[in-house]
Parts: sequence; C-alpha cells; structure tokens
Amino acid sequence: MTIAAGSPLVAELRHCLGREGVLSSPSDLVVYECDGYTIEKARPDVVVFPRSTQEVAEVVRLCNRHKVSVVPRGAGTSLAGGCLPIGGGAVVMLTRMKRILQIDLRNRLALVEAGVLNLQLTRALAGTGYHFAPDPSSQGASTIGGNVATNAGGPHTLKYGVTVNHVLGLEAVLGDGSIVQLGPVPDPAGLDLIGVLVGSEGTLAIVTKVWVRLTPDPQDYRTMRAIFATVDDATNAVSDIIGAGVIPAAMELMDRGIVAAVEAAYHFGFPLDAEAIVVIELDGLRAGLDEQQQRIGQICRKWHAREVLQAATAKERELLWKCRKMAVGAVGRLSPSYCIQDGVVPRTRLPHILRRIAEIGRRHGVRIVNVAHAGDGNVHPILLFDERDKEQVARAVTAGNELLEECIRAGGSVTAEHGIGVEKIALMDRLFAAADLAAMVRVRRAMNPHNRLNPGKVLPTG
Amino acid sequence: MMDDPYPPLPLTDVLEPADQTAVAELVERAHRDGTPVYPISGGTNLHYGLPPAEPGLGLSLAGLDRVVDYPARDLTITVEAGLTIAALAKRLAGEGQRLPVDVAHPERATVGGIVATCPVGPRHYRWGTIRDYVIGLSAVDGSGAGFSGGGRVVKNAAGYDLCRLVTGSLGTLGVITQVTLMVKPLPETSALLACDLSDFDAAEKLLAALVHTQVLPSAIELLAGPAWKEDSLLGPLAESASLRLVVGLEGTLAEVEWMLARLQEEWRQAGAAAMVRLRGLRADPLFQRLAEFPFDAEGGNGASGLVAQIHVLPGSVVGVVRSLLEIDPAASILAHAGGGVIHARLHLNPEKTPAVIDGRLRPNLASAGGSMVVLRQPEGALLSRQTVWGPPRPSHAAMQAIKDQFDPKGILNRGRFVFTPKDR
Repeated sequence: MTIAAGSPLVAELRHCLGREGVLSSPSDLVVYECDGYTIEKARPDVVVFPRSTQEVAEVVRLCNRHKVSVVPRGAGTSLAGGCLPIGGGAVVMLTRMKRILQIDLRNRLALVEAGVLNLQLTRALAGTGYHFAPDPSSQGASTIGGNVATNAGGPHTLKYGVTVNHVLGLEAVLGDGSIVQLGPVPDPAGLDLIGVLVGSEGTLAIVTKVWVRLTPDPQDYRTMRAIFATVDDATNAVSDIIGAGVIPAAMELMDRGIVAAVEAAYHFGFPLDAEAIVVIELDGLRAGLDEQQQRIGQICRKWHAREVLQAATAKERELLWKCRKMAVGAVGRLSPSYCIQDGVVPRTRLPHILRRIAEIGRRHGVRIVNVAHAGDGNVHPILLFDERDKEQVARAVTAGNELLEECIRAGGSVTAEHGIGVEKIALMDRLFAAADLAAMVRVRRAMNPHNRLNPGKVLPTG
Repeated sequence: MMDDPYPPLPLTDVLEPADQTAVAELVERAHRDGTPVYPISGGTNLHYGLPPAEPGLGLSLAGLDRVVDYPARDLTITVEAGLTIAALAKRLAGEGQRLPVDVAHPERATVGGIVATCPVGPRHYRWGTIRDYVIGLSAVDGSGAGFSGGGRVVKNAAGYDLCRLVTGSLGTLGVITQVTLMVKPLPETSALLACDLSDFDAAEKLLAALVHTQVLPSAIELLAGPAWKEDSLLGPLAESASLRLVVGLEGTLAEVEWMLARLQEEWRQAGAAAMVRLRGLRADPLFQRLAEFPFDAEGGNGASGLVAQIHVLPGSVVGVVRSLLEIDPAASILAHAGGGVIHARLHLNPEKTPAVIDGRLRPNLASAGGSMVVLRQPEGALLSRQTVWGPPRPSHAAMQAIKDQFDPKGILNRGRFVFTPKDR
C-alpha cells in the first residue's frame, strides 16, 4: 500500500522517532530504492532510523495499524535484492543501532546491535585472542544483522562454517511488534527459532541484537598460492586435499580472467598466463601445520602445479589475501557492468560446473570470469556486459539463469551465501518440490501471517 | 493395549513401515482418525519428555535403515532415519571420516532419533551438536504430507532452514525419514588429561585459565559426585579433592603430543596436581562414558533418580555445580564446562521434587540467565509439563503457530513436548 508524505503514519513515525529519524521526501527516498542488486528498483514510501529495539517495535506496530509493509535494511549490500521495497512500504534502517554492547571472553561471546559492521567487530576484538569467524567479502560495509539475514559465508566457511554456526542468541521484533530474546544460552525446551531466523532474509522478524560466538585466534598460519595450467587441475587438487582429510581454513580459486583484472588494477605480480590460481590457507596449531602443508604441496604437484609459493611473512600473507578480497572490485577494468552470481554444487562437482560455466558463456557470447570458495563447491561466476546494450543484458541474464539451473542439475543450490532475495525467487520451484516450498510457506504463515515483513522475498507464493 | 514393549509409551499397536511412502500413508490415516503417533527408533531415549497420556500408534523407523548415498569425497552422507549410529560410524570410519557427535548407546540409537532429540555430549564444545551437521532432511508432517529441507551441499542460503527447525523438535513437527549429514575427517588420535581439584575456587581458576590456553580442547569436563569417585580409567579421586577436571584433545599425533605437554605445563604453573593421561584407544571408553552419563542407571538396577540437563553460560558452571551439591550432597554431576551444559543425577524426595525444581533450581538458574529440562523423571513421579520443560518462553506463541501449521491435529508425540495438546 502506498502512503503519502503527509499521511498520518508518517506523522506518527516522526512523533515516535523524531523528525531526524524519518525520511519522506522523494529526493531522499530515491537513495533506498535498490541495494547491491541494482537491476531492480522500487521506491519506498518512507525510510526510518530507529535507535533502539523499543523504537523498532513501535515502528512495526504503527505500520501494522496502517497495514504498511516493513523492509528491514542494514548496509544495503545485498546482492540479491533482499532490501528492495517492493510495493513501497517503510524501509527500517538498522544502521543507527551500531553499538558493541558487550565483549565477554570468559563466556566466549560478544553482544552487538544489529547495525554493527562486521569489520567494526573484528577490529574491536583485535588483540583479545578471539575473533568473529564469519568474514564475508562485504565485511567492510555489511552489518552483523545483514550477515544474520543471509546466513553470510565468505572464504573461511570451509573450516569455520557460516554465520549460523556463530550465533548464540538473537533479540528480534516479530511481525506483531512483540520483542523476543532467543539465547544466548541454548534452550532445548522449544523449537530452534534461532536456526530459522538466521538466513530468513528479514521475512520472519527484524533482528535487533545478536549474541555472537567468539572463536580463539589460531596459533599460526600457512598461506600458499598454487599456480595451475588448467582449471580442472586446480579443482581436482582441491578435491584431493579434502579427500586426504586435510581441512584448510580456506581454498580460494581465481581463474585467468579475474587474475588479469587484478593485475591491471593492482600490479601484485600474479602471472597472467595461468588458467587457475588457488590461494590456500592453513591455520591452527604450529605442531601440525608443516605436515599439512607438505601434504598440500604434494597434492598440488601431483596435479601439475607449476609453482606452490608460501607466504613467508605476515605482509606476504596479507598481500595474497588482498588479491583475492579485492578481485571483484577490480572487475571494472574488464567491463562497464557485471553481475556476480552465487552458485554451489557438491564439492567434487566443482570441475564439472566450472567447465559448464565456460561452455555456457561461450554459447551465449558472454564473457565470464570466476572466483570460487573452492573447498565448499561455491562458485562466483562474474558475468560481464554493458548495461547500455539491452541485447547484451538479455544474454547475460539468460546465461546466469542457465548456470544456476546447471547447479541444481549437479545436485547443488542456487545460492550458497547471498540469499534468494528477489533475484532468485523464480528459481525456487526449480530447486524445491512443491511440498517443500509449502512447508516453508507454513513457517512464514506462522510468523508473518499478513506477509508484511519484507514482502516479495525468498518464497515465490504471494 | 500391548504389553508395554516400549515403556512409557501407551501403544495400541506398533507398525514398521518399509519406506517413506508407507510412513506418509500411516500418518495420514492417523491424522484422519486423530490418533496420536509416537515415532520409535532405537528406543534409547523414550523417557525424554512427558510420558504420553493418550494411547496411540507406535511408528517404528527400523525398516528405514539404508545408506542412501555416500560420496565420501564430498564429506557428506545421506541415510535413512532408522540407521543406527554405530552402523553409521562404521561406514564412515571405512573412509577415514566421522560424525563428531557423542551419542549414548550407539548400537541402538539412530540418526533420526538423535536429530529429533539433539543430545549433548563432551565433544560438543569443539565440534557442535547434530544441529551443525544436518544439511538435508526429509520428514512426514502431522497431516501425512512429506516435505524436505536443505539439500546435499554444505552451504545453502535458499529459503528457510527447515533442517534446523526440525532438529531437536522431538518429532513434533514431522516424523524424520531421511537425513543428509556433513561429516569430518577422523582425527589421527585423541587423549584425555585429568586433574583433581581441591575445591570450587580451584575449578573456576583452571576453567577461566582455559579461555586463553594455547591448546584446542575438544571437551572440557568437570566431574563431581559418587559416580566419579572411583573411576576405573581415571583411578580414585585424591583424598583432598572433591572435583575432577578432564580435558579431551584430538588431532594429529604431533598436535596431540604437543597439546598434552603444553596443557600439563599450563596446569602445573597454575598449581594443579595429580594428572592422568589417557591416549588413543584408552581414551575412547572414557569419552563414551562421558556421553552415556545421563543415561546410566545408578547401580545398574534400572531405577533412577532425577536426571536434569542444565544450560548456563560457561562462567556460571562452577556456581551451579556448587548449588546442586547443596541441594543434594549425593548428586553425581557431569558439567560440560566449556559449553555450559550440565548433566546432573539427583536423588530427591519424590513428593518434594516439583517444589525443588520449580521453587529452587529454576529460579537459581533463571537469575544466571540459564534454564533446565528434565531428561528423565524419578520412578513413579508424575511431573507436570511446566516442571519438565519449564514455563512457556516468550517465543512460545510463535513456536505454537509453527507447530499448528505442521501438525494441525497435534498427533505427533502428542503431549510430550512443550506444546499443550489441544482438543481435536
């Protein structure tokens, strides 16, 4: 339902949050009409900035009274349109709730408001002997609340898991405006609502606080770069390393296309003639690292790696990681526009899916470069095009859909970590049987019966 | 009525369907008639929850015990719910892999059973619970409709996490028929290091010091009470000691040797004494005994007192153990001190049990931000839903709404969990 700027709801919101807590003029609202998924846009009716959980609850109650939808938003880095205010409604910004409330090492947890940036938390923990494990590439901008909404991943999920493995508790505002606390002490007397809320993309509740699990810092690291002649060799090496029972903290693959972009942008000295480069990081007890590193070297050489270079200093380690973390940012060198996809297959199918992606790109005449969290079977194909050319855009969209369908066919999923948002709603009935979607709809019906919490996301049925 | 083959379930019949379709048909019929359905697998944990008041149908999952798919290089395995934990472990060990979740009576306990009840054992401190390993699941809901969640991949952000929703729900949202699990490599070796502690202050001192240890404990266990005074593997507790701290370590040979030496040194510097080391195969029986503690009947004669599972923040563990021993000086306690989960075997006067639980234990725990559930009631006790599970949580309405969607007539494990049976 669309509301006018001078409507009673806007007045009530101003009364609740103060004038500076509410934006309603068209020139202000336009900023919030899309997120990291820039292909689709929708204008919200109002944007609000609560500063406390009570204010979030009051906003939800006021919007309910006026039957207006509520769209929670953190930093808006969603790559799937998770913050798109479809049909208008009130965008609820969590960014003013950005305090780290507690760091409790004895209990190995921290309590943060949802608007705390991932990197902000990491910096606050530096030197304590503990860190927050989930480090998605967006961590410089994304909020913990946003990480929770998408069950964010990143390069270290191979060893440390995803966001849900590091959430001990949540404070959230439910669709009816009530406030609940779940955790931080586990509670078997009931359903795992924490497990349901993490990854629910703001469609079941608005998370206002998060109790995060803290992970002890590793004693030491070994970071390596292996250079392969073919993508197949690289992915087979990754598969064999896991098959040998070695679980590195991260195994990140970059293909020739993306390395060219990185070199053009940053001149790190990476070879331009390698079809695939894999950055591998081991971490843990010093007593075990050498053995594991030797094993990895053996396996890489078995797959014809022409070089396995180890970072000798902390600075060299940082450089290897910089190359990987800034890879996507360098894509602008290759193309005026791009779309970064997120697909996942069982890890041993990684060679297959990368071959299929190359074939799909060739067939549609779309240039595709790849980074991948190789150890997890999670690929990020980056499709390059010029958005001013409608025909190129159409080919890129078709190629993108086809590669996701290929992921499904290979036994995987259409998203490992970015979420469904609006971008992939059309694929949900390809991925899940009707009965399975029906089960998810039942969960939403129970917690969001009027479908006013972030409507039009995740589930295809209205 | 049958002759109680599965006490305490009042079963009119026990049926054993051969596959998921048969399970669905069975549940659909029961839904039409409004007959309660009580899923049964290994029968190792039937005393968890309230004993059902209404007779109903026993639904055995024993016929669904296949390994469906095991692509070992993917580190995932898909199995039917009735497969025993021991059979699963054997299959995985053949590929140098394991599911690092401690389970009591693994030769009878099944995958479906532990997903439904989510047990806590010593290794959950480092490796998590079964909740962290279920990446795919199929079940039949209370109307007889089959549904699946997750898939075959370790990272999956598509839709709601139905796997986590169903895990630990005591079969009240669906009868689990198939599970896809993430697995881990088998560590090369393991070890346990133990030391005797003179008092609670010494215990808290060592536990607090472990926050900054250089080793990576798999388990941190605080043992108290008669069950541990004379342990065949650890030896008798020292005269001056009342508590024992046991730390489990796993990894490569080099890592474990290093950790044993390092931890001993850290403890020596903290003034701890009487250390016992168990390595490799000698450590396994103790890990297993720690997993089975909540299920061991005292003296092996079948009758048991109250078994409680308490959840608090790790920093509150020592204080809670102290207060438990004040309530029952003869209590035997196993505190998984790293994760804050305490298993306690208490002997209370049966008539006074509800008052002690609701009037003393729970308020104490609540003020420390914790809670408890009853794992097993004393023989002959008839504890209420509130006493077994605690008062309804603020999120109860949301949970009940989900329950009503998945089991509209409330037939699945009717009356046993936190949901009040409604009139059908």
